[in-house]
Amino acid sequence: MALSIKNIKSLFPIFTHRPDLVYLDNASTSQKPQSVIRTVNDFYERENASVHRGLYELSTEATRKYEGVRKKVSQLLDTDNPLSIAFTKGTTESINLVAQGFVRKQLSPGDNIVISSMEHHANLIPWQQVCKQTGAFLKIIPITAQGELRLKEIESIVDSRTKLVAITHISNVLGTINPISEIIALAHKKQVPVMVDAAQSAGHHPISVKEWDADFVAFSAHKMFGPMGTGVLCSKPEFWPQIDPLLFGGGAIKNVTFEKTDFQDYPYKLEAGTAHVPGVIGLGAAVDFIQSLDLQEASNHTHDLCIYFKQKLLSLGTAELLGSPTNFGSIASFQMEKIHPHDVASFLAQANIAVRAGHHCAQPLLESMGVPATVRVSLAIYNTREDVDKTIEALMSLKKFWLR
Amino acid sequence: MNELNKLYSDVIKTHNETPFHFEKVEGASTILKANNPICGDRFELYIGYHDDKISLLHFFGYGCAVSKASTSVLAKSLEGKSLSDALTICKDFIAFIRGEKQVSQEDFKAFSGVHDFPERYECATLAWAEMKTFLEAKLKSQNQNEVT
Repeated sequence: MALSIKNIKSLFPIFTHRPDLVYLDNASTSQKPQSVIRTVNDFYERENASVHRGLYELSTEATRKYEGVRKKVSQLLDTDNPLSIAFTKGTTESINLVAQGFVRKQLSPGDNIVISSMEHHANLIPWQQVCKQTGAFLKIIPITAQGELRLKEIESIVDSRTKLVAITHISNVLGTINPISEIIALAHKKQVPVMVDAAQSAGHHPISVKEWDADFVAFSAHKMFGPMGTGVLCSKPEFWPQIDPLLFGGGAIKNVTFEKTDFQDYPYKLEAGTAHVPGVIGLGAAVDFIQSLDLQEASNHTHDLCIYFKQKLLSLGTAELLGSPTNFGSIASFQMEKIHPHDVASFLAQANIAVRAGHHCAQPLLESMGVPATVRVSLAIYNTREDVDKTIEALMSLKKFWLR
Repeated sequence: MNELNKLYSDVIKTHNETPFHFEKVEGASTILKANNPICGDRFELYIGYHDDKISLLHFFGYGCAVSKASTSVLAKSLEGKSLSDALTICKDFIAFIRGEKQVSQEDFKAFSGVHDFPERYECATLAWAEMKTFLEAKLKSQNQNEVT
């Protein structure tokens, strides 16, 4: 039976230690359930050993658990082969790996990479840099004032010299859910592979890499109830031989002489050095936690809560939402009349409400929408209507505090 | 809410609402940019000189109440000062915000609430740090010119 969303807050120890905390910064990082914390702790306390190294029980067990997480993650993403899953330190590293280890060698001056104007810096700067290194250039899919991709333009933007399309599943600023299957179908018609940044969606929304037919998918464990410093790159088998490692060292090799090195196959060739084993095993525990929920129900819960928040916010009459996408997740960005986002966030912080203020690592997006900064509220399964009500109440007293 | 009242003292609120010399100036000798890429705050400082003194200091831009008020206080405090005096004042203000020094100026003391909000140090010192770097470079190049 799926865990009840209603009592889920009690599974997250931070809310026991800080009962008054209203945590609405889930797009930055989510809180961790007891099961994940215990798994990481237990590893160091009872199971600590390096993986793929020792011929003793501890190491064998650590290796078994570490490798087992590939299967768990592949199930979460709905992809057939557990070996599609390479462990990285996060979305950023996964995207850099594809940019430098896969795309770079294919780029010649005049080639291009297509991204959208709503990308997080992590899905922008790696491509910008690889373009700078090769003489290729970025092409940007524009968005509407509502905050939705101009889908019709993709067909003309992706051309014969496009080497990759990199697109976010859910915007970390606007909350827009992009039609990934449609975008991938459009790109594949022109034989262009697609990388999906699933940092905001993995573990929060049902994902099917198989249905998407995605070539690369990246996400971080820490945004989906797992430990920080661990992430995933999921790649289609046909690309495995073409992805070169960026880090060289121990592990990841078949044979080494002073003259040359034969590397292991994907994903192991990408995991040189001692792995972040507790991070990966903790990610496994996070996936177990997510699988114990009904993910569709969880996604509906945060979406409904987001609608509730947006309605209440607009009824204040002093707030303006950034964008109004039809299909959105559980993220909303807004501005308060005459009060800077930082001052709003500081005020809310005094009421124990954690929100983010600034450009949310999406500076070009905000600039294109003519906004220097916003306040962002991002919800997760443990958030409640009470959290939203407290926030709205605080925003009402903010008005009194500032507008003398 | 008490701490917040301390952070947003009346002086800060007043400077935020009616900032000193808050306008663009055409033809300023120096236009200094004070940007905080993390939060999107952006100010331009318009500086004019006369006889080694800062004869004009206006600013314009966008920022939170703390950064806007602190830039306003900067403009008010440094206009009319010599470059070296202005540099000393910049250093004093930054040291004060970091809790390393006491100050006597009432306008400066209004920022003491920031001590309880380390995440807002950047806001309070944004324009001051730019100004300090700029003045140090300008005084250094002047000294070099005198030597040669």
